[in-house]
Amino acid sequence: MALIEIEHLKKYFPSSRGTVHAVDDVTFNIEEGSTMGLVGESGCGKSTLGRTIIHLLESTDGVIRFNGEDVTHPSKHKLRELRENMQIIFQDPYSSLNPRMTVMDTIMEPLKLSKKFSKAELQKEADKMMDLAGIEKRLRMSYPHELDGGRRQRVGIARALALNPKFIVCDEPVSALDVSIQAQILNLLMDLQHERKLTYMFVTHDLSVVRHISSHICVMYLGQMVETSETDELFERPMHPYTKALLSAIPTTDIHNRTERILLKGEITSPINPKPGCRFAARCPYADEQCAQPVGLHEVTPGHFVSCCHVKEINDL
Amino acid sequence: MAGNSENLLSIRDLKVEYSSGGKIINAVNGVTLDLPKGGALGLVGETGAGKTTIAKAILQILPDHATRSVTGEIFFEDRDLLKTPEEELQKIRGGDISMVFQDPMTALNPIMTVGDQIAEGIHLHQNKTKTEARQEAIRMLETVGISADRVDEYPYQFSGGMKQRVVIAIALACAPQLLIADEPTTALDVTIQAQVLDLIRNLKESQDTSLILITHDLGVVAEICDHVAVIYAGEVVERGTLEEIFDHPTHPYTVGLFGAIPELHKKVDRLSPIAGLPPDPTDLPQGCYFAPRCPRATKACAEKHPSVKHLGGTHYALCDQI
Repeated sequence: MALIEIEHLKKYFPSSRGTVHAVDDVTFNIEEGSTMGLVGESGCGKSTLGRTIIHLLESTDGVIRFNGEDVTHPSKHKLRELRENMQIIFQDPYSSLNPRMTVMDTIMEPLKLSKKFSKAELQKEADKMMDLAGIEKRLRMSYPHELDGGRRQRVGIARALALNPKFIVCDEPVSALDVSIQAQILNLLMDLQHERKLTYMFVTHDLSVVRHISSHICVMYLGQMVETSETDELFERPMHPYTKALLSAIPTTDIHNRTERILLKGEITSPINPKPGCRFAARCPYADEQCAQPVGLHEVTPGHFVSCCHVKEINDL
Repeated sequence: MAGNSENLLSIRDLKVEYSSGGKIINAVNGVTLDLPKGGALGLVGETGAGKTTIAKAILQILPDHATRSVTGEIFFEDRDLLKTPEEELQKIRGGDISMVFQDPMTALNPIMTVGDQIAEGIHLHQNKTKTEARQEAIRMLETVGISADRVDEYPYQFSGGMKQRVVIAIALACAPQLLIADEPTTALDVTIQAQVLDLIRNLKESQDTSLILITHDLGVVAEICDHVAVIYAGEVVERGTLEEIFDHPTHPYTVGLFGAIPELHKKVDRLSPIAGLPPDPTDLPQGCYFAPRCPRATKACAEKHPSVKHLGGTHYALCDQI
């Protein structure tokens, strides 16, 4: 069953130079207990999409359903309830914790706000969360500046999990960490998902990480989804020219099986007042006049959706 | 020991100590490295391992106020940079050796046009007039793939990837013998990273520049380097050619690093993180610095500092258990 259903979601921002189409008509579902990996380069709208879904940002248009219920425009009361069920883990563990709150206070804050716990229960619940996230008890009264990045991220995770949410947006949760610590946090997130049947939306630019943790993947380019499918399918048979280039650009440690690199021309164009038609056309090696026509996602092979008018020729289908 | 003729750069037993708040920080603890002429050496390690300090020691740009002592030898050709007077160092910096810093957003002067910033070094180091230097700057911009008509623009008018190209143009403007690139692509997106790595590789080949690439990304090392040194707690724990390190990682830390990265082309159920954290550089363990996190550590490892083992070819590792 789909826990999250997104239909034609849009998030526009006004700016002095025009309207920024940060998220532009995105549709997808996330199954309960699965992980949707959302990948794309900086500025493609992936963080905005994550934040819009959990109502940290108000959507411009479209529908958001949680557990089958339309929650696009929740009442104040409903929003409070949603916040208990939808949480976020932020990228930068150095700026997402209040520097003047101890580890214990930080984890207790959402518990206090829920008004569901007595004072004694608060302590117990927070202790339980610290155990769950692998934070040593001696750090209860420590401040964020006394902790390393990995431990700070564990505090962020404990805080997000405190009210036993169903859905968590993980916004680049390991990008600021060294590889040896990154592996600890990824393992923790996967264990927690298993134990608590969590549903994740994992936002990242790191495709190796996303392959490791996700069951499904969406690739975004300039506010739109260009390709989505089940993870192994996407990595083994990428069909959109952008996905192909993105995958080929990742440096791998396999020094004997180098794959041919597709070098893209230029850089991501501006999301301000974009023209209709394929947004990747300006950098695409296959682009022609036809690409000026609007395209949308269509199912090319079962469960594999691509937004490209040349997808058949490019992939010899 | 003097530098031998095959190596452009030879570092011997380099030690750097900083002092801060009354404590001594052992940032670099006896590093020995060689860079052959025309070679590309990757310095790999995690935050705080001492990679950038090694680079800054080579250029002698360590912060004066915090640096307590620098000992050892850094031979560039046949000159020990640690014993070279400041006036001569100024000619070397940006001339024979230049550096690309991690963050292109802060490495450029915001109130100077990119053309002037590239021309500055050429004018200073190559005895050229301002007009000649400007012509040369335009040529460099084109070399890094930026059109000549943007020479009079300011950094804010460029994107991150373009700024890093400008920084590389500045670094390569005087055709240095050695380019030190400190995490040159860490701040960039992968498709832009691929463009910049391609650019560095081409320039390295066409100008015969030797390269030291500092990174935490083993994938980037595999792309561009032919030699690798793995740095942990200010020491080289393993070094060798790219093949020696990537095909036969031997030091438990190197093995751990490879186990901790998710691989794009194969799916594993669980990553194997390295337990614990790097040691505090103000309070290093008595024996092997990696022993507290090492799955193969014995009691002896915690007591005696390991010695360097030769594993054949140019492959060395700092471990007593191999």
